[in-house]
Amino acid sequence: MAEITNEKPPEAVQVNRLSDRQKDIIQKFAAFGSLVVLAAVFSITSSAFLTVNNGMTIALQVTSIGLLGIGATYVIITGGIDLSVGSVLALAGVVAALAVKELGLPIWIGMLLGILTGSACGVINGFVVTRLRLPPFIATLGMMLIARGVALQITGARAVSGLGESFGELGNGSLFRFESLDDQGFPVVSFPGIPYPVVLMIVIAIAAGLMLNRTVLGRYIYAIGSNADAARLSGVNVTRVTAFTYIVSGTLAGLTGCVLMSRLVTAQPNEGVAYELDAIASAVIGGTSLIGGVGTISGTVIGAFVIGILRNGLNMNGVSAFTQQIIIGLVILVTVWIDQLRNRR
Amino acid sequence: MGGVAANAEILDAARVLLKLDGVSKEFPGVKALSNVHFDLRAGEVHAICGENGAGKSTLMKIVSGVYQPDGGIIVYNGEPVKFTSTLQSEAAGIAIIHQELNLVPHLSVAENIYLAREPRRGFLVDRRKLLADARRCLDRLGVDIDPTRQVRSLSVAQCQMVEIAKALSLNATVLIMDEPTSSLTEQEAQLLFRVIRDLKASGTGIVYISHRLDEMAAIVDRVTVLRDGRYISTDNFNEITVDDIVSRMVGRSLEEKFPEPTRTPTEEIVFSVKGLTRRGVFSDISFDIRRGEILGFAGLMGAGRTEVARAIFGADPFDSGSIALNGNELTITDPRSAIEAGIAYLSEDRKAQGLAVKMPVDVNLVMANMDAVSNSLGIIDRQRHRAAGQRYVDLLNIRTPSLSQPVRLLSGGNQQKIIIGKWLFREPRIMFFDEPTRGIDVGAKFAIYQIMDELAARGIGIVLISSELPEVLGLSDRIAVFHEGRITATLKTSETSQEEIMLYASGRSRVGE
Repeated sequence: MAEITNEKPPEAVQVNRLSDRQKDIIQKFAAFGSLVVLAAVFSITSSAFLTVNNGMTIALQVTSIGLLGIGATYVIITGGIDLSVGSVLALAGVVAALAVKELGLPIWIGMLLGILTGSACGVINGFVVTRLRLPPFIATLGMMLIARGVALQITGARAVSGLGESFGELGNGSLFRFESLDDQGFPVVSFPGIPYPVVLMIVIAIAAGLMLNRTVLGRYIYAIGSNADAARLSGVNVTRVTAFTYIVSGTLAGLTGCVLMSRLVTAQPNEGVAYELDAIASAVIGGTSLIGGVGTISGTVIGAFVIGILRNGLNMNGVSAFTQQIIIGLVILVTVWIDQLRNRR
Repeated sequence: MGGVAANAEILDAARVLLKLDGVSKEFPGVKALSNVHFDLRAGEVHAICGENGAGKSTLMKIVSGVYQPDGGIIVYNGEPVKFTSTLQSEAAGIAIIHQELNLVPHLSVAENIYLAREPRRGFLVDRRKLLADARRCLDRLGVDIDPTRQVRSLSVAQCQMVEIAKALSLNATVLIMDEPTSSLTEQEAQLLFRVIRDLKASGTGIVYISHRLDEMAAIVDRVTVLRDGRYISTDNFNEITVDDIVSRMVGRSLEEKFPEPTRTPTEEIVFSVKGLTRRGVFSDISFDIRRGEILGFAGLMGAGRTEVARAIFGADPFDSGSIALNGNELTITDPRSAIEAGIAYLSEDRKAQGLAVKMPVDVNLVMANMDAVSNSLGIIDRQRHRAAGQRYVDLLNIRTPSLSQPVRLLSGGNQQKIIIGKWLFREPRIMFFDEPTRGIDVGAKFAIYQIMDELAARGIGIVLISSELPEVLGLSDRIAVFHEGRITATLKTSETSQEEIMLYASGRSRVGE
């Protein structure tokens, strides 16, 4: 059919206008740039900021927002939202702890049960959104209350402690930790190691990013967020793919719960309140659009670090927790406003 | 035509309502308009013609205050004006009927017509007056729409009529109509023309933008042609031929509107539908598609043509009936099973149902056949992905700066080609084209017709659903005429006429059987 050529004068080709890919890069560098600026400012104002130890502390603090943020990104790209992750992580954590303490199960089985609890919550969210066709906001708001309620119920609202040293391994251990003994026999830490949670976050972020970019499933996630009708009429199983994103979000919430509880070596049914908002904020700062169809994992990880570094640096400078909230709130507004400006035509 | 000529002379002396001089507008990287002239007199219909991207809509958005011009002056009622919002231009008496529908779906027809101008009694909305006024507007148009109905329950054509009613309710001195008939049937368009003639008689100046050049003869006095954002010409409509207009629009002459068929219809039946029924929507629909032919679906808006196509494609359910491809009965439960079977449906609403407009060209092209560009683990093979995209861009002559261009930045014709490419990549056996040339410029239309003809020649069964009768007559070999959910006649194109089709489409069925 190559002969279908219509001699037509070249249309007013829209040169110079940035392609979405270029915008994407600018967006990423804008977020990344602000990250660098933040780090530079805090390095000047506080001598303890730019140290390996503090770097690891920040990374460790960022893991929970990061992991939840990755799940949130999946869901938000389809045009949905998951408000339940803060509660689901608490439920998952106490399930893991109770399985170890009350049922005497091995720790790894307890943790697996915790993660699966998160997945199960995701399955229910996905079912309610795709089959019962409730708006995602409502569906996950319901789950947020239910999961928190169950967590409080099965623990009697008390923290589960006395879990044993090895329950804390996942949250407190680290990879490549180098120690030596000095003359008096005291240990000297030459490198604090990379905490396991950080390793976990890096691996999952890379896997999640590759899945979004390189697989058919990832492509369908974007397609649904961009135009669900067109996706369905192109033969995409919209129901299944949408439900999948909620399952990913729930599973990552379950994992985050296990990691957090392991770090504290105590399972708190009140853990993770309002974490869903941090997760959504990190995705949004990283350029994910709440309308759907747009977003990247790398952006979300950068967004999580922006929040983490802000908190850490402000802490070091003695800024009160209340002021921190105000500043982070402003950062969210400004980043999204800049994003809007760029996209406006 | 003598009357029109006399009219034009009178018009020469008529008052100039609106005058644009040397208007320019630049968007980042695009010169949308450069040095454009235009004037509108009281009591005339002045058409603006041009291909997509020629700057028609931009020009009108400048007149109505949506955009501010970078250069040039606008004189309205003898005074230079600078509108900075549509509220200002509306207050001054300029109303615009947008190409894209701008209605609020959850409000009633009446509330939409008087949105932000509700008649009040104290602090409250005077509902009785609101309804009465809305009804009067609709009556004036001669359309039968209940003003209390929610807009979201209306068809596209009905929404278009409400838009028009809304503009009329402003009692504007200048009325801008951007593609007002693009989703109207022949009959509804005639109603609109009658209203336009009334408005003319009462001294309203009308700017008329349309791709349907044929219909202009009925109403248009003067025509201005734009090309690539530049002013080309202004003429009295009766002193210029449609072919002249088209050649000025595209910058070359178009000999014919429809390509010479290369296909040869056979008697071999490739696709057959029997007794297809969806209660309350359509019933007992039976038709065959033969190898090498294009079958047209003609009928009025809401006659059930789109609904039948969507049911066959699995997008909507049906209650009974059978569908067979090459003699094998198909079980279709959803679009996926239809696509598997080799059926493709190109929806009438490209942006809402056909394309992921934020996503790049190549992504849209492979969307319906991801398996072909990925391995068994579902990992996309970037090379095959790119190659497939490039193949269809070349094959269909899709004009895009690159494969990664988001499709929303392309013209309607190129968007339609992308949808065609998407389905060709699946190598379908049967393709339903639902209003394939709506809102597409003349040159691109011809290309789409050529593609459809070649596909039919390659043995793919083609169904053309179109509300433009000349298009159905010009392109199809046989025509199934729909009326209120039934096929009232199946006619050979070579042996029928526009009049006969209209007869069956309006329900006076089985006269000639």
